[in-house]
Amino acid sequence: MLTRRISIAAPIFLIIFMIQEAVISQFRLPGGGFSIILIFALTWAVLSETEVAAVIGFAAGLLMDLSHTSAGPFGQWTLIMLIAGYAISYIGYGDDNVHANAIGIVFFVVIANLLVEIAYLASGALLGVPSVSFGQILIKLLGMSIWSLLASPILLPTFSRLHGIIFDSRSAI
Amino acid sequence: MRNGGRARLLLVTLIVTSLFLITLDLRGVKVIDNFKQGSQTILSPFQSAGSAVLTPVKNFFSDVTHLGRTRNQIEKLQAENADLRSRLITRKNADAQLKQLKNILDLAGTAGYKIVNARVISQGSSQSFSQTIIIDVGSNGGIKKNMTVLSENGIAGVVKDVYPTSALILLASDPSFKIGARIASTQQIGILTGRGTRTANLQLLDNSTEIKVGDVLLSRGSIANRPFVPGVPLGYVTSVDNSAGAVAQTATIRYYTNFSALGVVAVVVGGPAANPGDALVPVKPRATPIPTVTVFVTPSPVPTN
Repeated sequence: MLTRRISIAAPIFLIIFMIQEAVISQFRLPGGGFSIILIFALTWAVLSETEVAAVIGFAAGLLMDLSHTSAGPFGQWTLIMLIAGYAISYIGYGDDNVHANAIGIVFFVVIANLLVEIAYLASGALLGVPSVSFGQILIKLLGMSIWSLLASPILLPTFSRLHGIIFDSRSAI
Repeated sequence: MRNGGRARLLLVTLIVTSLFLITLDLRGVKVIDNFKQGSQTILSPFQSAGSAVLTPVKNFFSDVTHLGRTRNQIEKLQAENADLRSRLITRKNADAQLKQLKNILDLAGTAGYKIVNARVISQGSSQSFSQTIIIDVGSNGGIKKNMTVLSENGIAGVVKDVYPTSALILLASDPSFKIGARIASTQQIGILTGRGTRTANLQLLDNSTEIKVGDVLLSRGSIANRPFVPGVPLGYVTSVDNSAGAVAQTATIRYYTNFSALGVVAVVVGGPAANPGDALVPVKPRATPIPTVTVFVTPSPVPTN
């Protein structure tokens, strides 16, 4: 059942990845911009149960690693997104304060987005990936959070509807 | 309980897979590179199409960002009809790229570099902290890994990865970027390291030599001209750190290249026959004297009563 649903979801992941690489990456948005695939995966993870969320995180992470602009070793995003997906679902799924209202999901996704980026930086430092100065990191993290706060409410209805169709849940908001 | 066990097993399996992938990549296994290369080969036509379609929109965002500077131009454009405005924006973009291209050709021609021109089709990733761009020419166009990339004003970066129809360029502003530098007109050498901004850090190898604000830096060049050809303008010294007790003398450098405005770049596919030396040092702007007007006044005789 899970395999069937994931295989149905795979083309959606690929389309989102294409949009990220061919459209969003074209703009040098101030403050670093946002990652649509990150928002997509985190939104779906909030709406899914832990098992599914872990697979969603894994798939999104694999695609993010496939991006040639990914600075770290292949598998770094996969590991982070897998853990993030599982953790987000573990905390958020079943919690009506988060799950039942759109504002709760948006804030959850934005905070998760920030934490995932911090985890990426921290693991990158452990793996020896060179990074920019502390000030620039702070500016980029702040910029990304603001962008994801702006983008998430716009994208949430579409993402949750897609989730509802594929996973046959009442997650459409 | 059984479901919980299955979820845990799945989680552990996926974590082990991720760690396995990281290990493979860190050990330099080719399979991973081939995966990335394959995905980039599929993506690059979409990126080229996206770049072509989104150019007017990108120009719009650029104009909004520089609203103060381009307000007059925007007001003028608003007065014209939509068709003319669209054509003007496209033309503006082409002109800017043409200007960049002309300057690059001048630079390469003076030094005798053999170059391949390329258009920037993607501005790097918004999800990672590295500073890269993607160009629309790859191995089919003669591009290889570790080749120097020029902008209209000097160094832009180095080819990091090559795909059949595109290539990933590591910008000189990236913290992992390092280049051997030489101060123009002297033989003082050092290592220039990116800082993530338009400034860079220069560490001189000889502590007894002196470096001054305004000194121009050129690339030293590498063996067989890869990754760096000699004589490429890098930037100029903006401040010198002369702190006592420092092991090596350091300085802050400002790159000539504006990394946020790269539209066209050139990849050096063949080095010069001879070292161009200081031939590419940018000409300093000359101060134009302002004429002063001197007025002689002769006092009229004071009337006496």
